[in-house]
Amino acid sequence: MPDLPKKKIGIVSCSGEELPEGTVTRLAALKVLEQLRPADTVTICLPLFLAGGEGDRAFAKFYPTIAVDGCELRCAARATGMYSSKPAASLVVRDIVIETGLEKPEGRRHLNPAGRQAVEATAARMVALVDGLLGKQWDRRAGEFVQEPPNPEPQGLGEATCSCGLGTPIQKVQIEGQEVTLVALPLIFQQFRQAGKQPSESIARELLDTVKIYNSVPEGMDIQYRAVLLREYSAFCEKEPAQ
Amino acid sequence: MSVQRKVVIVPCSGIGKTYGTVSREAAYEIVEDLRPKDAQLVALSMLVLGDESTRAAVAGNQAITIDGCKLACASKMVKENGGRVAQEIAVLDVYRRYKQFKPNGIAELNEGGLHLAHALAEEVAISIDNLRSKNKEGQNA
Repeated sequence: MPDLPKKKIGIVSCSGEELPEGTVTRLAALKVLEQLRPADTVTICLPLFLAGGEGDRAFAKFYPTIAVDGCELRCAARATGMYSSKPAASLVVRDIVIETGLEKPEGRRHLNPAGRQAVEATAARMVALVDGLLGKQWDRRAGEFVQEPPNPEPQGLGEATCSCGLGTPIQKVQIEGQEVTLVALPLIFQQFRQAGKQPSESIARELLDTVKIYNSVPEGMDIQYRAVLLREYSAFCEKEPAQ
Repeated sequence: MSVQRKVVIVPCSGIGKTYGTVSREAAYEIVEDLRPKDAQLVALSMLVLGDESTRAAVAGNQAITIDGCKLACASKMVKENGGRVAQEIAVLDVYRRYKQFKPNGIAELNEGGLHLAHALAEEVAISIDNLRSKNKEGQNA
């Protein structure tokens, strides 16, 4: 079984400064990132999709992403879709406020009680989406996740994981005469190398399985992709001696 | 009758670092407390998505950008959207001048972060006054 990179969910909040609901998105996102699901989530600043490079823009391809917006303009969802990849899910605080019967949030700098309740309600919706996207199911009788895989990273208070400036590693390869960008390939190679995996046909199959987590591989192209991955991984191993 | 122009304040509001929150807090202090008549806040997300009124505000006024990290998203975005950046402020540079105010926290700034935001806001308020004076001199000349 290959040592897969841990799947995380990307959170992109609009953080709109002009509206209280923008502050709600920011605080709800931070609550999920820092307290509720720190090991399962990562974020990126919304403007970085435009200001950043190709690696930054690969964020929503690398991570299934939840966009959280304050109002119906849906800046976070639209920008994520325009500059990275379509969000896996999208929330709007104003909709949540109406659905839950809360009063209107006020105070963009210091939220009123209704605003703080909206933060809790929005964070709860995000957690449900995060868990759903990670394929986890909550057992209400047992009060725990059903068949939850072992997670070495403890949940609890932590730092928000920010991808600003780090970018998502990508690598361009030639497949059948076409240049193809593969998200996370350098990271995958690195992990395989650190695990002591030598280039071979069976490792090429494992590589392809891992690559498919973060990239869409056209139907009927597995053989071509395996050949290229084997070639590129062999080159990588020559440059990066095993430690 | 001349239209009263305001200086546009554009913080990055970066969500992943303390300095982003400092930029946001400082911007609120400028437009709400220190220079409410002379400054207006522009949401970077609206500018990024091409909102007409936001673009018009940025195109028609001088801007002061406040960035939390070296990527300088606020500054870049204002320039790319036709804005005139009168001053680019990096929170880290301000912190170097006020090392006694060590910021911490993203959702909620610690006392050091609030002090740093206040110091930054005071500096921006002086910059706004200078810009307004220059503009008046230019009108009277």
